[in-house]
Amino acid sequence: MCDKRGDTQEWDWGSPQCRAQLDEVFFRQHDYIQARGAEHAEFWTFFERFQRFKAKKEMAGSREGKARKKGATGAADLGLPKEYDPRYRINVSVRTRDVEDRLEGSRRRTPTGPGSQEIAECRLALLHFLDFTQKQSFGKLVKLRREQRNLPIFQYRDRILDLVRNYPAVVVAGDTGCGKSTQVPQYLMSSGFSHIACTQPRRIACISLAKRVSMESLNQYGSKVGYQIRFETSRTPATKLLFLTEGLLLRQLQQDGQLSRYSVVVVDEVHERHLHCDFLLGVLRSLLSQRTDMRLVLMSATINIALFSSYFGGAPVLQVPGRLFPIQVIYQPIPPEEQASRSEKLDPRPYLRVLQGIDQRYPAEERGDLLLFLSGMAEISTILEACQTYASHTGRWIILPLHSTLSIAQQDKVFDIAPPGVRKCIISTNIAETSVTIDGVRFVADSGKVKEMSFDPKAKMQRLQEFWISRASSEQRKGRAGRTGPGVCYRLYAESDYEAFAPYPVPEIHRVALDSLVLQMKSMGLGDPRSFPFIDPPPASSIQTAITYLKQQGALDTRGELTPIGRLLSQLPVDVVIGKLLVLGSLFNLVEPVLTIAAALSVQSPFLRTAQHNPDCSTARQPLNSDLGDPFTLLNTFNAWVQVKGERGGGSRKWCRRRGLEEQRLYEMANLRRQFKELLKSHGLLEEGGQDRVSAEGRAQRRERLSERQRLHQLHREHQLQEGRRRKVLRLDEGAEGPSSGSDTDTPPSASKDQEGAANSMDIQEVKFKLRHNVSELREAACASADMSSRQTALLRLLLCRGLYPQLALPDEHNATRKDSEQVFHTRNKQGIVIHPTSVFASDPEVLHVPEHESSALGAGKEESSKHQLLAFVTLLETNRPYVSNCVRLPVLQALLLVADSVDSNADCTRLVLDGWVELGMADAEAALKPLSSALTLRAEWERLLQAQLGHAGPASTSGLGFTGPKPARRELDKLREGLVRFLLYTEVNYSLKRLTGLQAQNLYVGPQVGHSELTLPPLFPGMQSEPDPVKGGLRITNYFTYNCLCDSKDLYSECLRTFWSCPHCDLHMPFTPLERMQHEATCRPAEEQQPEEDPDTVKTAASSSLTRLYHCDVCNKSLNLTSTEILRHKRQHLA
Amino acid sequence: MDTSEGTVIGVFTCEQCDLSSPYTFYGQKPPNTRAIVLLEECYGMRDPFNPEREKFLVLGSKCCLCKKTVCVGTECSIFYTKRFCLPCVREHLEQFPEQIQMELAKKKTAKKM
Repeated sequence: MCDKRGDTQEWDWGSPQCRAQLDEVFFRQHDYIQARGAEHAEFWTFFERFQRFKAKKEMAGSREGKARKKGATGAADLGLPKEYDPRYRINVSVRTRDVEDRLEGSRRRTPTGPGSQEIAECRLALLHFLDFTQKQSFGKLVKLRREQRNLPIFQYRDRILDLVRNYPAVVVAGDTGCGKSTQVPQYLMSSGFSHIACTQPRRIACISLAKRVSMESLNQYGSKVGYQIRFETSRTPATKLLFLTEGLLLRQLQQDGQLSRYSVVVVDEVHERHLHCDFLLGVLRSLLSQRTDMRLVLMSATINIALFSSYFGGAPVLQVPGRLFPIQVIYQPIPPEEQASRSEKLDPRPYLRVLQGIDQRYPAEERGDLLLFLSGMAEISTILEACQTYASHTGRWIILPLHSTLSIAQQDKVFDIAPPGVRKCIISTNIAETSVTIDGVRFVADSGKVKEMSFDPKAKMQRLQEFWISRASSEQRKGRAGRTGPGVCYRLYAESDYEAFAPYPVPEIHRVALDSLVLQMKSMGLGDPRSFPFIDPPPASSIQTAITYLKQQGALDTRGELTPIGRLLSQLPVDVVIGKLLVLGSLFNLVEPVLTIAAALSVQSPFLRTAQHNPDCSTARQPLNSDLGDPFTLLNTFNAWVQVKGERGGGSRKWCRRRGLEEQRLYEMANLRRQFKELLKSHGLLEEGGQDRVSAEGRAQRRERLSERQRLHQLHREHQLQEGRRRKVLRLDEGAEGPSSGSDTDTPPSASKDQEGAANSMDIQEVKFKLRHNVSELREAACASADMSSRQTALLRLLLCRGLYPQLALPDEHNATRKDSEQVFHTRNKQGIVIHPTSVFASDPEVLHVPEHESSALGAGKEESSKHQLLAFVTLLETNRPYVSNCVRLPVLQALLLVADSVDSNADCTRLVLDGWVELGMADAEAALKPLSSALTLRAEWERLLQAQLGHAGPASTSGLGFTGPKPARRELDKLREGLVRFLLYTEVNYSLKRLTGLQAQNLYVGPQVGHSELTLPPLFPGMQSEPDPVKGGLRITNYFTYNCLCDSKDLYSECLRTFWSCPHCDLHMPFTPLERMQHEATCRPAEEQQPEEDPDTVKTAASSSLTRLYHCDVCNKSLNLTSTEILRHKRQHLA
Repeated sequence: MDTSEGTVIGVFTCEQCDLSSPYTFYGQKPPNTRAIVLLEECYGMRDPFNPEREKFLVLGSKCCLCKKTVCVGTECSIFYTKRFCLPCVREHLEQFPEQIQMELAKKKTAKKM
C-alpha cells in the first residue's frame, strides 16, 4: 500500500496541515460538517479515539480471524455479506467522488496530500462519527420519551384532551411531581391547539418551563414554545405556546378584553391564590360566556379543588396522583423552656438537635440534604450562626441561607453539590416551599412559622407578622423531602398544633392593599369593584379603602370614574405613588432623574444587606450617599453605574461587588426606566427625543453601531444555545465565610469559582443590556442628572414629596437629645416609627435636627425655627417595629403648604393646622402671611398646568374625556418652576411645630356659624367660590384651604385685624385683612409681568380675565369692571 | 411554520416500541446535507438536540422483510446493509454473521436478568 506513494512517512495524522488537506475533502464550506465548527473539532477528537480503538482491535483481531465464519452457509436469500464488517451496520454514506477525482488529478502532478488510503481511513472514521452522533441524539429522544411516559399524568392524556374539547373550563388537580405543568401544555399543543397561553405566578417559572417544554417538544432551538415576562420575551410569530405571568396576561386583557389572540388559557398553580390569579379567574370566567370557542384549564395542587370547580359552574375535575416517595413525619415540638418570647432571639437548640439526630441515625455515605424552614431573615441568621459552629465542629455540614434579599450568586449556591460525606443544610424562608425547588433534599425541618405581609388600611401600613402556617403549607414543606427518594420530615410542633392549623393559607386578596387592583378593574371597565364576582371576595371595607385612597390621589373622580391621570396610572405596572411621581416629573424638565428614581423605588434595593457591616463596602459606597435622602443615593448609584458601564462595560461587575451592590437590580432599573419612558412617550407626556442625534450621527458610526449590535446578537444567541449554569461542588467552608468576607473583595477565597460562574452570566447580562439600551444615551441622561443644581434637586425633592404624599413623617421633638439609634418619627396615624437601618437618615440623623443656634426657645416644645424638616417616605412596614424606608427630607412649612390636602388657619393666619395633625405657629403675623399667600398662588398655577399637560396627553384624552387643551407653554412652566424653587429654598419664616393629639384634633374647629352666610368674599381665584365651610366653620377659600376655622379665631371683620401693608408690586399701601392681602397678592403681578411680550392673543384674554372682573357693589348697587385692587379700594371707600 | 423546523409531514411511530415523533423528511436524502446519503429510505427530522440547523436525526425506517415501520433503537431493529426489525432478525438468525447472533443472545440474557 505504501508503495502507491513514496512519501507515506510524511503523512502525519496529528499534523494540522495534513488534517487541513482532508478537511478540503470532507469538511468544505457547504458540507454537513464544516471545518472550524464545533463538530469538526469533535470529529478529530473522535478520529483519534477511533484510530486507537482500531489498532487495538486489529491486534486482537488477528487471533479472532481464524475462528471466523462458519455461519453463512445456509440459503443466502437475504443477500447479506458473509464477512462481518462494522461498516455494514451504518446506514449513512458520504459521497466525495468529485473532490477525490480532482485530488487524484492534482496528486499526479505534485505528490503531496492525502492518498486514497488516508481518504478511506478518514471516510470510515467520519461514517462512524456520524453514526455515533445519530445514536447519541436518538438516545436522548428515547430517554425523553421514556421519562414522559413515566409521569403519572401520562395515563390521563387522552382523558384531559377529551375534557378540554368538551367543556369550556376544566380543572386538573395533581400534586408535586405529577408532571402537569410541563405535560398538559404539550398535550394541548400536540393535539392541535395552537394559541395557548399558560400563566405562572412567578417569572422564573415562565422561563424555566418554556425551556423545559420546548426541549421536550423537540423544539429547543425553535420558537414554538416561548415565554414572556415583564422585560423579556422569546415570543415570535411561530410561537404556539406561551408561558407568561398572571400579571402580564391581565395587562393583555386590559388592551384586548376578548383576549382574541389565544384559544386556550391554562392557569397554573391556582391554589396559590395570588392576588393577580384570583382576579384573573374572575375576568376569565366572564370572558368564557362571551367567547364560547375559548378553553380554560385550571391547574392546581390537590387543595380546595371543589372551590375552583364550583366557581366555574361545576367544571369537571381530573385528579392525578402525584409522585412522591414515602415521607416519615416526626413531631418534635419545642419544649417550653426553649421557646423564644417575642423579644428574644430564637433558641437554636431544637434545630441543632435535628442536625445531630441526622448525624447519629444516618451514615454519612448516605447522601441527602436538609432543608430547614424558618419564618424570616433574622431567624435565619440566628440559626445559621449556631449551625455553622456545629458544622465547623463536625465537618459534616455546609450551612447555606436562602432568602430573597441574598445576591443571586449566593442564592444559586443552594443548587451546588456538597462533597462526599458532607450534607447541605439550607436554611430558608418559605421561598423554598414553592418558588425554589432544590434537588437532593431528603430531610425537612419545619418550624411551622411563616412571616406574612398584611395591610393595615387605617395607618396605610404594611405589616410583616409571624403566623403559624396552614396545613396545606405544612404538607407542601413536607413534600420537599420526598422528591428524589424516601424522606424524613421533622416538625418542630406538636401533632395537635398541626391539627389546629388553618386548612389553607389566607388568599393574598384578603391581606394586601387593593389600590392597584381597583385601578386596574376601573380601567378594564369592570364596573363597581364591590360587586365583582371574585372567587373569594375581599372584605368590602378593603375595596372601599382603596377607592377612597385613589380618590385622594386624584386617580378617581368623585363619581368613582377614572381621571386622565388615573387612566395613565392604571397602565403603569407600579404603585400609584410612583406613577404619580412620573407624571409630575414629566411636567418639568426633570424627566431623566425622575425616571431613574421611579425605577429604583420599584425594584428591590440594590444595596446588599450583608455588605452593610463591611467597612470596605461602606467606604466605597460613601461617595454615592446623599444626605437629601435615599432616592438621591439610588439616583447617584445608578448614574455612577451607568458611567462605569459606558467606560468599562463588563468591569461594572467588579465595581458593584466592591460596593456591595447587586448588579441584577441595576439592570432591572435600567429596564424599568426604559419601560416608563416609553409609556410616558406613548401618552404624549414626553416628547420624542433623540431623532436629531440619530440623523446627525455619521454613516461610519452608524455602521459601527450596527456591526456591534450584530456581534451582540450573535453572543446572545450563543448564550441561549448553551445549557444553564452547571452545578459545582461546594467547599466545606463555603457557608462559613461571610458573603462579603475577605477584605480584598476582588479575590476572596472562593472568588475563582464565583468569578467563573458569574463571568458567564455576567457577560450575558452585559450583552442583553447593550442590546436593549443605547448606552451613550443613558450616559448622557446620567450625566445630566449627576450634576443637578441645588435648585433642581430642590424641585425633585418637592416632586417626590407630592408624589409620595400622604406618606409623610415628622421627627419627634426630642430627637436631638436622643441617641442615633433611638430617633423616632410619627405619621398622622402611626406613632413611634423608626427609620430603616438601610436609610441614609439612620446613619446620619443630625441632618434632620433643627440646628440649636437657629431656634429661639419659647418654652418647651415651642421652639421657633425656619429649619424644621419632615420626611416623605416610600414604604412603612411594621415588622418587630414600624419602619419607614426610602425617605427624602423637606422643609415642613413649604412642603405641607404645597401638598397638604387640608390647610386650616386662624383669623390672622399665625396659626396653621395641616391635614388636621401638624400645627405651625408663627409669632410674626406679617411674615406669616407671605408663605401662605405664595403657596396658594403656586398651587393654583401648578394644578392648572398639570391638568393642561394631562389634558394634552395622547390616547387617554382623545378616547376618554374628549378635551384636548393646549399644551402648557414652556414659559409658564419655567415661571412656575422658578416660583416653586424659590419658595422651597428661600422662604425664611420662623415657626413652631407641634403634632396635635387626637383630643386636640377633635376640638380644632369653630364649627359651622349661623348667620354669617352674608360674609362671602369675592373668590380668591377666578372661578373659585369661597363659602362658609359647613363642618369646620370659617371660610372655604380653595378646595384645601379653610380660613379662620380654627378655634381661637378672632372675628373676621374686626377692624383690629387690618394691618398696614404695602404691596411690593404696585406700591399700594393700606390696611388689609389677611384675606384681602392674599387676594391682592394673588392678582397683583409685578410690573414687568403685566405686559408680557409673548403671544399677544393669549396675553390679552389672560390679562383681562385675571386682572379685572365684574364686581357688583351692594352699597352703591353698581356693577363695575375692576381689578381686585380696585375692588378693595372701592370697598374701603364705603367703609371710610 | 417555524423556519428552522421544516414542515411536519406526519407522525412517525415505531411499531415495536411505540416511540413516536413528528417527521419532516422521508427518503435517502436529508435536506441540506450535500454529500450525505442514507442507505435506506428513512423517516427523519431536524436533530432537536443540536443547535445547528442542518443537523438531521434519523428516527427509523421500514423493515426490509416485513415492511413494518421500526425505530433505529437497538431494542427494535438493526441495520446490516439493510434494516431488519428484531423479530425478523431472530427468524433468520442463521443468515446473520456471528457477531450479530452473539449480540442478540446477549440482549436476551440481559433482558431475562
